[in-house]
Amino acid sequence: MDNSPPILLAQDLKKSYGPVAAIKGINFSLQGAGVFAILGQNGAGKTSLIKCALGLEKVSSGNLQVIGHPPGSLQAKRQVGVILQDSDLPDLLTVREQITLFASYYPKPFSVQQTIDMCELQTFADKRYKKLSGGQKRRAQFALAIVGNPQLIFLDEPTTGLDIEARRNMWAIIRQFAEQGKTIVLTTHYLEEAENLADRIMIMNSGVIVANASPNDIKKQTTGSVIRCETQISVDVLQTISGVSSVVNAGRFSEIRSADVNQSLKEMLNLDPQLSDLTVAQPKLEDVFSALSQGDQA
Amino acid sequence: MNRILHSFVLETGAELLKAFRAPEFIFPTLGMPVAFYALFAIMLPGSNENAAGLLATYGVFAVMGPAIFGFGISVANERDKGWLDLKLAAPSQGFSYIGAKVFSTLLFSSISLIIIYLAAGFGAGVALPQSTWAMMLCVHLLATFPFILIGLSIGFTCSGNAAMAISNIIFLALAALGGLWIPMMLFPQSMQTFAQFLPTFHLSEIALFVLGATGERNIVYNLMCVGMMSIGLLVFTAIAWSKQRSH
Repeated sequence: MDNSPPILLAQDLKKSYGPVAAIKGINFSLQGAGVFAILGQNGAGKTSLIKCALGLEKVSSGNLQVIGHPPGSLQAKRQVGVILQDSDLPDLLTVREQITLFASYYPKPFSVQQTIDMCELQTFADKRYKKLSGGQKRRAQFALAIVGNPQLIFLDEPTTGLDIEARRNMWAIIRQFAEQGKTIVLTTHYLEEAENLADRIMIMNSGVIVANASPNDIKKQTTGSVIRCETQISVDVLQTISGVSSVVNAGRFSEIRSADVNQSLKEMLNLDPQLSDLTVAQPKLEDVFSALSQGDQA
Repeated sequence: MNRILHSFVLETGAELLKAFRAPEFIFPTLGMPVAFYALFAIMLPGSNENAAGLLATYGVFAVMGPAIFGFGISVANERDKGWLDLKLAAPSQGFSYIGAKVFSTLLFSSISLIIIYLAAGFGAGVALPQSTWAMMLCVHLLATFPFILIGLSIGFTCSGNAAMAISNIIFLALAALGGLWIPMMLFPQSMQTFAQFLPTFHLSEIALFVLGATGERNIVYNLMCVGMMSIGLLVFTAIAWSKQRSH
């Protein structure tokens, strides 16, 4: 790593709303370009973290730095772009008008035309925002996030409510920016999105960080594979089989997590030779996520 | 500096475009005052005698719409939709958001006033010395500011839907009860007393004073009341604004 300040640095960061603690003392440091996904359920503290980093909400205690500057300072704001959750742009202005206005806030923005080209807005740049589809609206918002040529781009649930094609479209544009050396901080509750896009994933649960690693490393945190099959063996018995760590009934199927698939399967087939519809899967990020973001296992 | 000015011009331009593209804003702000004036000062039989006096009060009515609706409804909506947060997160100047709205509101007020002055001069045959027209214009334009503060108070405290209803109620109540539509002396005594608490009453008294209208009035008292109400509203909006900026 070079000597430049971290893109985003949190030290014992806390944020509460009255008696409710949204962020309970988190630490992380984010360096370099790429896509950084913050995963978590509603109320995990993702949006609070972003609002604090933007200076829209005050940190309750601890330290938070945006490219070496305090959040909300002019120096920080000039290097940051954002799509806020559930936000909308004025209905009656065209996309081009909004981009032109936003470009004027920044010292070294992209040109309006460049922005339109990069975000592929050509076909609807002169339409009023009101007339756009959901996916087009989100791309227009993305254009405002990047027009200032910022180093750091926050995207708070940028694809919520979009259909799959619009979502893939957004992913491609986000990826393209990461490849240009920008840092993108993305919150999402779509695991698929984090898995597809992120170079690094941070999982938050009830205001604390429960994991912070690359998608592959996070998957490794949950050992073993999942055996799925239809069997007569009862749950109680399945749990006694060697290597098995958990058993879940999913309809007529049983899902058995095992650290030693070969041994477990041997024993299962001995107990139930009629066992059918057998599949064995590597753990998905989703499994890790639900394990980490539910109980206090972490 | 140049960049800030450039940004401010674009910001004001955006406000004007939004306003001109919204018929639901244009009608009550530009159409209604002149329509009411035409009805009460030109068309109704015998109304012509008081055409000049009504110009003073309808001028106050004309500047009220752009300020209360422009600030009340639009600020509340823009807060609701996260647009204001997006601007505050961007390196835009905080004052340019309000400044651009003040600018475009004054422009709208001016258009509304010019329409009503033309109706008075050519439709109702109101003849005044040029200096009186100029003084009246000043009073009417300055009257915009207390209404801007009322609009901001609504915009910073209400949700978008509530702001729509509340702005309309306040707009109509201030106009009717402040004596902007029908001269105050035709009101029962209790309502005249109540009108003392409304900025519209005092502002129309000031406009009538500038016009040299008949009747006794205590202009210093009117000015003081408007000043105190404005200061109260200013404090209220400043608190609401600082709450908006730091949760």
